Amino acid sequence: MHLIKEVGALLRKELVLEWRLRYAISGILLYVLSTVYIVYASFVAVQPQTWNALFWIIVLFASVNAVAKSFVQESGNRQLYYYSLANPTAIILAKIIYNTGLLLLLTLLSYGAFSLVGGNPVKDYKLFFTGLFLGSVGFSITFTFISAIASKTNNSASLMAILSFPIIIPILMSLIKLNAGALRLIQDTAIWKDIMTLVAIDMILIALSLILFPFLWRD
Amino acid sequence: MLKHWWKILAVLILLYTFTVGLLVPLGPGITAIAPQSLTTGKVVQLKIEGYNSHYASATEKSAWLKVGKNLTLPATKIEAASEQDMLLTFEIPAHFPGEKKVASASLILDNDIDGSSVKPSAVVLTQETLAPEGAALAWSTATLTGLHDKSGMNFPFRNILAETIRNTYFHVPLWFGMMILFLVSVIYSIRYLLYLQPKDDWKAVAFTRVGVLYGMLGLLTGALWAKWTWGAYWSWDIKQNMSAIAMLIYLAYFVLRGSLDDMEKQAKIGAVFNIFAFAALIPLLFVIPRLTSSLHPGNGGNPGLGSEDLDNTMRMVFYPAIIGWTLLGVWMSNLLHRMDRIKEYLFDRM
Repeated sequence: MHLIKEVGALLRKELVLEWRLRYAISGILLYVLSTVYIVYASFVAVQPQTWNALFWIIVLFASVNAVAKSFVQESGNRQLYYYSLANPTAIILAKIIYNTGLLLLLTLLSYGAFSLVGGNPVKDYKLFFTGLFLGSVGFSITFTFISAIASKTNNSASLMAILSFPIIIPILMSLIKLNAGALRLIQDTAIWKDIMTLVAIDMILIALSLILFPFLWRD
Repeated sequence: MLKHWWKILAVLILLYTFTVGLLVPLGPGITAIAPQSLTTGKVVQLKIEGYNSHYASATEKSAWLKVGKNLTLPATKIEAASEQDMLLTFEIPAHFPGEKKVASASLILDNDIDGSSVKPSAVVLTQETLAPEGAALAWSTATLTGLHDKSGMNFPFRNILAETIRNTYFHVPLWFGMMILFLVSVIYSIRYLLYLQPKDDWKAVAFTRVGVLYGMLGLLTGALWAKWTWGAYWSWDIKQNMSAIAMLIYLAYFVLRGSLDDMEKQAKIGAVFNIFAFAALIPLLFVIPRLTSSLHPGNGGNPGLGSEDLDNTMRMVFYPAIIGWTLLGVWMSNLLHRMDRIKEYLFDRM
């Protein structure tokens, strides 16, 4: 109960912070729009196969940028203050939940913008949105935890990419395959297997983040 | 001396792996058959090229063409030109049963020295018209009897692999060794987080370094093997991709450590990343290739390390090879972390 209260308070803090620093979120949204526009301008006509890959790559880069700031934007002193107030598990959980929401918003926006300029080849909406949700959760957990690691180093921006991209590839591959099913590019009778894999990956990652973060936060 | 028994064991096993694994000859096999396309109702001569075979010196020779599950046709004349070349004469009847005009036939050879060898889908048979209903066919449905067993120690001849089958003692054990080394490294990382002893972190790093070396060697031996069997060094096979990702992750681990100045911070953050990366990746190496198609054995419905891939002679080398390579890896890691300890000692004294 105590943990839930803490997570709730920290989530409110994240929201208020985002609201006060509106330029950060507007920056990310603008980033998505300009990327989509660049992709459209360079491809003009996008085949469903390419659409699928490009969509996830846009989402991937936008997500890295959106999440990278979670631990970097607040100064070390303020983080020390949080740590003295809250349980580390609550801190990472709040960040993950907040980032999941942010990434869901981001993926939906990317989807909207991309289908506006590049066409909408999605056939199976249930499967597609399941993919979006599981993808957002997986991206959020991985990137949040890696940004916690990267924030401890001096060149956190480049380390963020180096550390997180290889780890995200299995998730990305499963997502692209899942979405290929949603776009009817492949006929897969065992699509639930991919969904289960994604759910399992997400579970492993969240369990690890919750276990390992307490070791990470105290310097 | 006594406490180093496992190092001696590692050297002995690897010596055994290299000598036996590279020197034991392959069993006899069939490498080429000409012509490969036959029409029914004719007398045809098949030129056979053998590998490690004894066609000339064998006395009891027989050969069959086999269509479908159990229809066989014996050769009428067998002439051996040399140990490796043989001329088979078949009187192919006008029809073979079935609903199709084209069928592929396997070739079965047998003699008293080489034992029996099979080339699946060796030739393609074409018939002008389908076999008339109820006609007596010249093909025999009896099971083949009196086949010889090959005596002596040999590795099996597999049609695509040929001599590259020996890579089983290097490529596969290197991956096993890498997994074990990474696992040990993670165990030391967990120990470090629990007890904060620097020596656990040194061990974790040493095991990771040797694990990466093994992974690189595994990729290299795999690429060479893939060139021979699949036709390209890199075929974007799922397992190749996953292994390349594993290497990227562990290289990132060293970059992460390098970008931290403080030794204690290096150890702690390194340990956290090591555990996270291992648990996020290694299960996937086992799960994801099973979900998608792969050229590797054991994936996409192909059999794994079953009787199709390993016979008992190969097991005699393969299992020790895993132990030998792993022990060598542990030994190398030991040397590395002891070097770190000496460096630390000298650093403190200066």
